[in-house]
This record gives sequence, C-alpha cells and structure tokens, in this order.
Amino acid sequence: MVSLHGYLVLAAFLFGLGLYGALARTNAIRILMAIELMLNAVNINLVAFAQYLTPGLVTGAVFAVFVITVAAAEAAVGLAIVLLVARQRGVIEVDKINLMKW
Amino acid sequence: MNWQLVTFYILGLVILYAAYRVVTSAVITHAALWLAVALVGVAGIYLQLQAEFLAIIQVLIYVGAIVTIIIFAIMLSPLREIKTEEKDRRGGATRMGRAVASVEWGLAPVAAGLLFALGMTWAYSRQAWPVGSVPPGLITEPLGKSLMTTYLLPFEVASVLLLVAMVGAIVLAIRGQK
Repeated sequence: MVSLHGYLVLAAFLFGLGLYGALARTNAIRILMAIELMLNAVNINLVAFAQYLTPGLVTGAVFAVFVITVAAAEAAVGLAIVLLVARQRGVIEVDKINLMKW
Repeated sequence: MNWQLVTFYILGLVILYAAYRVVTSAVITHAALWLAVALVGVAGIYLQLQAEFLAIIQVLIYVGAIVTIIIFAIMLSPLREIKTEEKDRRGGATRMGRAVASVEWGLAPVAAGLLFALGMTWAYSRQAWPVGSVPPGLITEPLGKSLMTTYLLPFEVASVLLLVAMVGAIVLAIRGQK
C-alpha cells in the first residue's frame, strides 16, 4: 500500500519543477507547459486527499474535473494570445514583451 | 514484493524525469512530447488511486487535446525561434547549469522550486494523517451522479467557460489574420 505521504511528496516535487520552469524559462509556450505541470501536481493532491481522507465522497474528484476544464480553457486562450503576440511583434520571449511595462 | 509500491516508484520517477525534461530540454517540440509522457504518468497515478474516470479524461483532454494544441501552436507559428533551441546567454556545463545561467536572477528559480518541494515535504512529515485506505469501488458512477445533482451549477458554469474560451481563441486568431 502506498501511503498518502507518497502521493503528496510526489505532487510537491512536481509542483516545484513546474514552479522552477515558470520562473526560469522565458519562452511563453514553455511557461504555459510549466503551468500545466503545476496544475497536474495540484490535481494529484486533490485526488489523493479525496480518496484517502473522505472515501466514498467524490468532492475532490469533482474539483479535479473542474481544474482540468479550466486548464483546457487556459491552454486554448493562452496559446491564441501567444501566437497573436508572436505574429504581430515577432517575439516569443516574455522578458522582451514589455509594451505595457514602464 | 509489493507491486503497488513498485508501480508507484516507477510512475513517480517517470513523471519527475519527464517534468525535468519539459522544463530543461532545449528544443521546445521535445518539451511538448515530454509533457505528454508526464501527463500519461499522472494518469497512471490516478488509476492507482482508483480514480479511473479521471485517468481516462486525463489522457483524453490533456494528452489528446492540450498537448496536441501546444504542438500545433509550435508547428504553425511563424517564428523560427519558437521551434529551435533557446539561446543560452552565458553558457554552462550541464543542461540544468545552462538553464540556470540563462536567467538574470541565476539561482533564484531553482531555490524557489526546491524550497517549495522540500518545505512541503517537511510540513507533510510533521502531520500524522489518519490512516485510511483507498475505497475499492469505481468512481465513475458517483462522480456522474454528483455532477448531475449536487454540482450541477458549477458543471454548467464550466461548460459556459469552455464555450467562452473557444469563442475567444477563435476571435483572437481571426483578428491576427488581418
């Protein structure tokens, strides 16, 4: 039997990797991928807590379904914005997209 | 031999290695493919947690839709530098070293990620969770029932959100054409 700790630690390290990617990389598409990694780590946490602490209730799984929905919407809109910026301004690096930065 | 534990360790190693490659691999198409590997691994974790419905929609939505969208965006984009290797500004020995050297803050992102992971591990180890066990039943039937009864309103709101996101993405794409 895997304990609840195992899943939580795995999710923490996955979130840490995603956090590092979102902070360190400058390519906008890779930042979106790192955010997907973080959302997945959160989902592992939700499902693990739901299955271990409230067996028989599906609240955590329902929440994970909504997180997946929001992730799909975020990927669609985010990639559309990134492609639009890439086409109009010719850059994909987020530290060079500084039009609204003073 | 504890097969559940062995499976968990294999899945965890695959997920963490694939996530590491997502973050650090030089060619972004490779990063997208490694993302698919990591997401399939997470689907395996869901299966191990007896959440078979979530495993199925993880493969369908994440691997089938989101990774495909990302690869399409990379392939269709007009910029060469999306597809090719990211330029490393200062250089370094290892791949991680190059990634560390390529940002202005140097070690700060690595420190943030490691501190988060180790801090959460430390916090988890201090807490004694009530020892439960994963229920043996399937999750699809209660999940479907509660989505249609208790969580009907959030379910509808989520579908409206998806519709709005779809329309918004199409509008952005059309506006970029002109």
